Amino acid sequence: MKSSAKQESLTFSRGVREGFPICVGYFPTAMAFGLVCRDVGLKMWEAVLFSVTNFAGSGQFLAINLLASGALILEIIIGALLINLRYIFMGAALNQKLEEGIHGPRRLVLAHGTTDEVFSVAVLHNQRLSWTYMAGLQGVSYAGWVGGTALGFLIGMVLSAELQMAVGVTLYAMFISLFAQELRQKGIMVLIIAGFSAIMNSILILLLHMGSGWAFVISMLGASIVGAIIIPETEDLP
Amino acid sequence: MRDNLPVFVYILATALATFAVRVLPYYAKFLGKLPPFVARAMRLLPIAALGPLVFPGVILDFSPAWYAGLAGIGASFLIAYTKGGMIFPILISIVATYIALML
Repeated sequence: MKSSAKQESLTFSRGVREGFPICVGYFPTAMAFGLVCRDVGLKMWEAVLFSVTNFAGSGQFLAINLLASGALILEIIIGALLINLRYIFMGAALNQKLEEGIHGPRRLVLAHGTTDEVFSVAVLHNQRLSWTYMAGLQGVSYAGWVGGTALGFLIGMVLSAELQMAVGVTLYAMFISLFAQELRQKGIMVLIIAGFSAIMNSILILLLHMGSGWAFVISMLGASIVGAIIIPETEDLP
Repeated sequence: MRDNLPVFVYILATALATFAVRVLPYYAKFLGKLPPFVARAMRLLPIAALGPLVFPGVILDFSPAWYAGLAGIGASFLIAYTKGGMIFPILISIVATYIALML
């Protein structure tokens, strides 16, 4: 690897090449998001605006869910802040690896493009990350996310009327699919944490008649604190 | 939407909240050195979110046919757990829910 130092330089095209698998991976998930947006009554430009301005899978799914359930804007903002807090760690790690001299708008663009997948690809490089490489990596991922959202919305438009009611399960099916993937990759701890938060949320809503947004925030925070307590320090985190 | 605001306001508010946590570490360096317990709890948040995003909504939304949503997510869980992916599990869950609603 070291012998081909020239080939290894972090150029724009290398960023695009390494981002392509991310783009392909984002596309179906973004399609699911577009489908859900149509299902809960958003217009196509609103669905696309969502993906353009947020570019955050779980954050967008959370927001559209709370939006559909009639949550207050403050509840949605707090929910989005919490679910995206992990970007602080990713951003902090990437920031330390950036080349000198990336300031102003470029720095803001790079911050907007920080996602779990972009982070996991970029952070593995042993060299300083250039602006052009990051722009290629993030740009192609972004294209997959925004393009997928638009296509998913369009596919939703050709569904028959009989299927419309059953399509109400889409959002839940998407979360359960995410859950199944996490469970398979990371084991029983995922079930314990998500199960705890599900039970807590059900109690808060059904028994204590709390608003869906606040119940969500409290359940999510409670379960992650319990998770941090019961997971041994040495164990690899999800 | 109890606030009665246009949808794009919710979208932009969510975008701002998301952008805030993304941009912060590029300027506030201390955020890279949080206590380990806080760091662990923060990294678990996306998993902790999955539970309340499904329950009890999946039961309440289809009431009185409460089992329809459960049939749907049961089907999608099986497919996603064994085969992976997202689009196929979602399509199967729509079919399962449709069948359950027709019963």
